This record gives sequence, C-alpha cells and structure tokens, in this order.
Amino acid sequence: MSNVLVTHADEPIGRRIVKLLFHDPRVGRIFAVGDASPPRAFDRFLAGSDPRLRYARVDLAKHRPVADLFHSAALREAEIDTVVHVPRHGAAATASAPIVAGLAERTAETRMVLQHCLETVTVRSLVAIGSAFVYRLPPGNANRLGEDSELDLDPDVPAEIRSWIDCDMILHGEVHNDRLRVVLLRVPTVVAAGGYVYLSPALGGRPGLRLRALGYDPICALVSDKDVARAVQAAAHARSSGIYNIAGSEAVPLSVLARWTGRSSLPAPGPVVRWITAAAHLLGSESARVAANTLCFGFTLDTSRAERELGFRPTDRIGLARAGDGALRVETAAI
Amino acid sequence: MSNETALSPDEASLRELFASDSGEPALGRDPFAEVVEIDPFLERLDAVRTRGRVLGAGAAPSVSPVRPIPARDSDAARPESRGQWTTVALPRRRRARTPALAEVELPEPRGWLDRLVGEEERRRLAALAHLVEGEMPFDRYGFSPETTRLAFPFFHALYRAYFRVRSHGHEHLPQEGAAVLVANHGGLLPFDGAMGVIDVLLHTNPPRLVRSMVDRWAGSLPWINVFFARVGQVVGTRENFTDLLDDGQLVLVFPEGIEGIRKPVTQRYRLQSFHVGFVEQALRARVPIIPMAFIGSDDQAPILYDMKRLARRLGLPVLPITPTFPWLGPLGLLPYPVSYRIAYGEPLHYHERFGPEGADDARLVRYLANQVRRAVQLLVDRNRA
Repeated sequence: MSNVLVTHADEPIGRRIVKLLFHDPRVGRIFAVGDASPPRAFDRFLAGSDPRLRYARVDLAKHRPVADLFHSAALREAEIDTVVHVPRHGAAATASAPIVAGLAERTAETRMVLQHCLETVTVRSLVAIGSAFVYRLPPGNANRLGEDSELDLDPDVPAEIRSWIDCDMILHGEVHNDRLRVVLLRVPTVVAAGGYVYLSPALGGRPGLRLRALGYDPICALVSDKDVARAVQAAAHARSSGIYNIAGSEAVPLSVLARWTGRSSLPAPGPVVRWITAAAHLLGSESARVAANTLCFGFTLDTSRAERELGFRPTDRIGLARAGDGALRVETAAI
Repeated sequence: MSNETALSPDEASLRELFASDSGEPALGRDPFAEVVEIDPFLERLDAVRTRGRVLGAGAAPSVSPVRPIPARDSDAARPESRGQWTTVALPRRRRARTPALAEVELPEPRGWLDRLVGEEERRRLAALAHLVEGEMPFDRYGFSPETTRLAFPFFHALYRAYFRVRSHGHEHLPQEGAAVLVANHGGLLPFDGAMGVIDVLLHTNPPRLVRSMVDRWAGSLPWINVFFARVGQVVGTRENFTDLLDDGQLVLVFPEGIEGIRKPVTQRYRLQSFHVGFVEQALRARVPIIPMAFIGSDDQAPILYDMKRLARRLGLPVLPITPTFPWLGPLGLLPYPVSYRIAYGEPLHYHERFGPEGADDARLVRYLANQVRRAVQLLVDRNRA
C-alpha cells in the first residue's frame, strides 16, 4: 500500500490522476497540491472525518512553501513513498512573476520537487510527466522517435519548449539514483473528451485561430488524458526507473487536430508567422506562446519500452463525436 | 542543578529552524492544516439525502457530510504485488497488412478521377485503406488512402503512357512480411521511386504499398514533404526504417543517396558507393534484401555538368546543367519520355547466415553492402543489354 503526493492536482491531468489513484486499492492516502482551491471534482473525495484524499494550496515554485509541504505533519505521518509530479501545463494566467530565480516557473518547480524528494527519506519513487516536444525533429512530415532520440538543444528553441527540456534534463540526471526511483514519462499532445488539448505548443490554450507554417502540416501524436493517468499509475507501481514515451495509437495532421478541437489553423508563410508571434508576445497575448514557426515537422512515438517495462498500453481510442451543439469534436473512448 | 539554560531569542529561533531534522514539523505553516472548503451545494445535497434517510428509516444522521466513494469492485481483482504488474504479457501490435484482391469489395467511383482508372486498380486502392487502423484517416507516418486515391490516376498515366513501364521478376516480391528493396537511383526528380511504388502495387496480390525512404532534404521542402507523407513515403531515418520493418512492410531504399541522382551522363548506370545502413537494418530485422533495377531513370534527365559549389551556397543538393535546364527554366527539369524497365532480382537472405549479431560487425556489413551493390549492378547491366 503506497501513499502518494500529486502535484498540480488542480489542473486537468492532475485531476484525472488523482481520480484514478483514488480508485486504486494499492494506493493508501493521497495528498494533492495545486495552485488553486480544490477542484469541485474532489469534493466527494475530500469529504468525511478522515478522508483518503487531502488537498492543499502550495506554490511549488517557491522554496519556503515547498519546504513547508515536505516537512508538514500530515506528510510525515503518512510517510509518503511516491511523488507524482505533474508539471505546470503552461504559464499560469494569474502569475505575476513567471520567472523564478532566473528559471522558468516550470523548471523551478521541477527542481524544487526533485530536491525535496531526494532529501525526504520516505520517498522512494518520483514519477514525473514530461513533454515529447523536447526531441529534435528531423525533417519530414512524420518521424518515429524513441527514448534515445536526440533532444533539441538548439539555443533558438522557443522558451516554452526550452523549459520542458530543462525539466527533462533535471530529472534525467537522477534516473540512475540508487535510493530514489525516478520515472519520466514523455507525452505528446494530450486530448480529453470535449475537444480539450493540453501540452501542445501549437494548440494549447483557448480555442481560436492558430497560425501554422505554410506548406507544412506535421503529424501530431496523440494520447488521451485517461491514458496518461493510467501510465502514471503503471509507473507508480512498477519497479523500473527511466524515461518512457507514452502515446496513443492515433496520429493526425496538425490542421485536422485543430479542426477537431474547435480551433482553426491558418497557414501563413514562415516569416509572417514569426513576426505575428513576436508581435503578439510583445503585446502580452497568451496565444503568443504558439511555436508554430518551429512546428514544421511532426513525430510519433515508439512506446515499446513503456509496454515492455511498465506494462502500459493505451486503452483509449481518439476520434470524432457529435457534441451537444451539433459540432463534431474530438472524443476519447475505451477500446 | 539542571543542565538547561535559558536560550537567547536568536538561539531559540535557530533551534526551531533546525527542528525539522529531528523529525518535527518546523518551518512556516502546515499546508494540510488549513481547512479545505467543500462545495456547499454538495453539503446541502447530502443534508437532503440524510434527512430523507432519517425520515424514512429513523436512522441517525451520518457523521460525514458526504459519503466518500468506495473502491470499485473491478479494482479489487487486480494483482496486488508489484512484480505481477511489471511482467504483464501484452499482445503483439497488429501488423499492417492488406487483404487479397478477391476479398476487397469494389468501391463505386467517387468522381471523374476514379473513372480514369480501371476496376482492378480501384480494387487495389481500396485494399490500401486497410493499412489505416480504425476510423483514423491517416497512419502514423501520415499515409492517407484518400490522398493516394486522388494522386493515383496521374501517376498511373505516367506509368502506362509516358514512361511505358515494363517490368519482370515480381515472383520475388513477398506476399506478406517485411523486405528491403534495394535499387539504383537516377534522374533529377525521383520518378524512379514513384514508378517502383506503382509497379509493386499493380503486380502484387494482396496489393502492397512500398514505403520509399526519401532524403531528409526532400522532407524539409514545403508541400513536397506533406505530399510524400500522404502517399506513403517516409524520411529515411534509422528509427523510421526499424519501425517499418517491424511492422512487416516493404521498404524501398536507394543506398546511393544524392550521389545517385547527380552523377553525370558519363557515369549513367554505374552505381555509386552504397551507404550501409540498410544491411544493418535487414540483419537486425531478419528480413531479405531484394535487388531491384530501374532502366530509363538515368536517361530521363542526363546531367552534363553539376555546379556543386553554387549548389552548396544555395543549400541545394544538386544544381545541374542538362540539355533542357536551365535553358527552359523549371520546365527543363521535367523528365524526358523515356521507356522504363523495372527488374526484381532474387532475394538475398543474409540474415539466415549471419543473424542479427552480424549487424555489429562493421567489416561484414560493408562487405554485404558491396555484394548487394554488385547484385544490383548485374541486374542493371543484364536488363540494359
């Protein structure tokens, strides 16, 4: 029976993980932390005099609150042995200072969580979610990438992808740690029922118009949010450590995915995309983090290592379904 | 006398600060000590439910405002030990394969493009749709049966009328399972690859789609990269090659690379040095290598001179002077209407003799690549004669 701490549990993927772990008989107590107040979905889990789930608001990018969290009486009594770190999906909408001590917020959080996991004696496993957009993409509409494929260490990489690479490398450094088992799951674009998209540099954020480079329509590997949660569950109970690609069996071009998720993608010449992106960034638009100019080439992921060592296999199919308003939206369903 | 002495305020705060090392909570606030607010609507809903139970059965009201959710019954059946979870036997991924022609239902023509090709060709194209899993219109390399259906009439016309392709040796192509087709490369534009794909599609049953390994430079070109992917062609990276062979597909490679298409007219049909990666892949995947010869590709755009320095400055792989280029502008790059001939040689089963471990021997791999080169050269010479 393991006790688990889940970070960023208030974000959609974190919520999904907490729900799945709550129904797992091999998991005892669950401690969930997030930026915001507890999601309404947790209300039933939090009820009762001694609930299995406990929730707290913690700013993971700051040293003092994280130290308070790991030294709190509740965590020490429960002797948590597994930490599931769900990195922040994007820049927080209300974040006043997205840079912490010279690091992107996501990088700072990952570093802080890893450091405290290493220092806390009871913690034996750290399962972290990373992004598959860290790979250097060779030219081509679609390329198969394995865990050993090269990372994109080009200094011109957009800041968002750079922060994912930094998180990846911070965790990679402890993969062979004898005391702490570190599992890093690299996931591609995550889709959820209702047309929601997460962890995609090109389609993240609110629905609306997106620019993409003219003449390119890269293939996007997909995975459902439920499969990501299942992968985390499998990694939490497995014995192996390392880096694993997690993906579903579906892959569609960027333009199709944009249409399916209620976004429209407008092809524009590469330099125009770069100018508009830079201008929107200067104006403070959230959609400015679109890395459309870099997403000319697509990829799919080789997940055989996760199948072999974690026993993970995607069980959701991703497809189109007619929503209540009559529009066709991407949906996920069990095979 | 007691050993304890009064602590100064600074010492007290320091001791408090380091108390965490002895196992006591020390720093700042305890985040879990704060009261978590539960949605008042749920509390009201639970109160209504509780009142109903009290009124109905006379039972005492529940202590908890909302009942926690119990574990699912299905979860209890799952294995408890970690060892069982790490040794789950997973079924092997379904290999992409097409049905035999007799099993394919003839689709109705869906436009004037479909009417340009015969019934058998339409049946063959319909069989390719089985390469795409489920309801997804694309496979993981971006292959789209729909785009292939639309592009086929144009390339079929080139195959039949423009290049007047004749071919033989189809009995060497496997009906199923992976194989590496190794061919000579020629002509400025890769029409040899396109004719090879059409020829294999038209002469195999079940119809098979050849996945050509295209150069990275072509994969970076706008529109071209999308078109290549939609008709089933794949950029030649090691991971892509391995995955296609694992998937049981026919893979066409041109081991001469760019050197093949930019050789001058004096070198035509003389095979250039081979890259050796395809031998490694074939040995590791335990698949045969099938030599293949294209006659006509070296005549479709004879290169008189290659301006290598200028090409390098412009970032192009080749900048040729031909009888028509650059004199006729981009039209000068179009291939001449030469007659094509395609020949397939006997499969080379090196994997049976040397096994996957042979791929680690660099000298053996180079030797085998030269053997394959010799076999392709022999096939070319024989068919030219």
